[in-house]
Amino acid sequence: MTNLQLLALLPFMVLATAAVVVILLIAFKQSHTVIQVTGFFMMCAVVLAMWFVRDTLPREVPPLLVVDGLAALFTGLIIFSVLVVGLLSYIYFEEREENPKEYYILLFLATLGAAVLTISRHFISFFIGLELLSVSLYALIAYLRNRNNAIEAGVKYLMLAALTSAFLLFGMALIYMETGSMEFTAIGNAITKSGTSVLFLMGIGLIVVAIGFKLALVPFHLWAADVYQGAPAPVTAFIATVSKIGVFAVFVRFAQAIHLHENALAVTVLTVIAIACMIAGNVLALMQQNIKRLLAYSSIAHFGYLLVAFLSGDAGVGAGVFYLLAYSITLLSAFGIITLLSTRRKDADELSGYRGLFWRNPLMAAIFTVALLSLAGIPLTAGFPAKFFILTVGVQQHMWLLAVVLVLTSVIGLYYYLRIISTLFASPPLSPAKEKSLHPLFYAATYTSLVVLMFLLAWLGIFPGFIIDNVQEFLVIR
Amino acid sequence: MDISQVLFYALSAMALGSAIMVVISRNPVHSVLWLIITFFAISGHYILMNAQFLGIVNLIVYAGAIMVLFLFVIMLMNLNAETEPQKNKWLKLAGVVAGGCLLLVLVAALKQAEVKGKVAMLETGDIGLIRNLGKALFTDFVVPFEISSILFLSAMVGAVVIGKK
Repeated sequence: MTNLQLLALLPFMVLATAAVVVILLIAFKQSHTVIQVTGFFMMCAVVLAMWFVRDTLPREVPPLLVVDGLAALFTGLIIFSVLVVGLLSYIYFEEREENPKEYYILLFLATLGAAVLTISRHFISFFIGLELLSVSLYALIAYLRNRNNAIEAGVKYLMLAALTSAFLLFGMALIYMETGSMEFTAIGNAITKSGTSVLFLMGIGLIVVAIGFKLALVPFHLWAADVYQGAPAPVTAFIATVSKIGVFAVFVRFAQAIHLHENALAVTVLTVIAIACMIAGNVLALMQQNIKRLLAYSSIAHFGYLLVAFLSGDAGVGAGVFYLLAYSITLLSAFGIITLLSTRRKDADELSGYRGLFWRNPLMAAIFTVALLSLAGIPLTAGFPAKFFILTVGVQQHMWLLAVVLVLTSVIGLYYYLRIISTLFASPPLSPAKEKSLHPLFYAATYTSLVVLMFLLAWLGIFPGFIIDNVQEFLVIR
Repeated sequence: MDISQVLFYALSAMALGSAIMVVISRNPVHSVLWLIITFFAISGHYILMNAQFLGIVNLIVYAGAIMVLFLFVIMLMNLNAETEPQKNKWLKLAGVVAGGCLLLVLVAALKQAEVKGKVAMLETGDIGLIRNLGKALFTDFVVPFEISSILFLSAMVGAVVIGKK
């Protein structure tokens, strides 16, 4: 391994170091605040390291890894999300029954897993990254283990993730048997030379099962609502953003390498999955009274939209990245509000708890409203250009059915987002004010970051061109 | 049919038979014992493929350490047929239908498949020997090797977090 290759991996090494640093801090009995602040600066160091190595990209680290523009983009998204999740975690875990320190080790290790997924171009690194992500998530989901829901959610995720790992390995084994290679590009070359066979399609199908589970696509979405509800709010935000971004990144790279878009059968299957996601996600969300479950179904629908971009092939990658960016910012600000409103006993997930939030706390209500409008895809918020770009590439590729379903289901989606917004502005019940015992600095930091997220949403909604240009610039580095 | 083919079929029959017994045994302790036999058969396959190191490690780690843990847990929990939760009849039926569909698809796919005499082999086929495996792990595959050590760290921290008082 040469120096330049080592340099390209620098951000990932800093990320791994962050977990070890947290372990050492715990060993020296440092306080939660110290760990939180150190973790924040370590994540900033990762960002700096990425900035530092940007000129050396793209760099291959054969045989397993490649650090290119796509990887840099997705890793950047992941680190950004983790920064926000980490900030939310302080307030959430400081007032909980569990000792919050080990939480940060697991959080950073899971992040490393997602980051490894973005740079992998080989089945081995794909699998190791995915396992690193899932194993850390098992413990994160069940972290508040005195709550019934948390253990249920953790066990459910553990069982299903282990089962889908078996599917993934079996699929990989079939493809290896057919093509004699585990590297994405080599598989692609072997397939263009000899044509697709039944075994190969079978392998792809099994891999799609595993990826569909991780992204909570429709036939494999049964865990989503329960896990979203049972997991602590910051962890839910983590699952909804970081874990899905990582898996989506590796899926994009795999599909590009093996030319999945030219395979009619695979395209048909993914089209059916996308339509099922859009319809089922939106319809199931209609009747939900629980905000976390509602966001779970809404994220299923959003990944259905994202699959439309995915199915457009190379043209859709830019739109997909922009969509993921808008979606992450939106969900992080929504979960930020849920975290701030959660009490010591339980998470603020009942819709009735949000009644009249505007009259109690106008700032929170404003942030939540902007986030929901962005999820619904209303103009002037980031959700609108994101959905618009996806629709554009879908129409350019003549995927009329998907485009029509996308538009129709978005209209259904509008109903339940607006229902929450109308609850926010209803007349409030009399409720005792929540006592605040933490250092006001952390509240200030959280509020500031949420307000920044809100302005980011508006800015992306009004001037999306700047980001799109930058995304395209990154995507040509390969 | 030479000796390695005979061994292959014998080991495969042993692995399949004992794996089925794992699933259909009523007594969980018997299931674990059948699982140990499965692991032995799989280790035999590894050795047939000239991967002695993997075969031995499979025996030591799976058939040895992990199975002892399994037995401990099962004996401590004192499971027997009466306390076993009764599953819903419809659930069983759904499981059979789903599993049967998967089996059907797999059999249909494998029937169509022709493995064109392709043997996926890394250069000379002696990658499984300790020396070559060590060289590969610490040169070409050093980054995933390190990442998998972090994977164990994550599993350890997770187990401690969930298991502590």
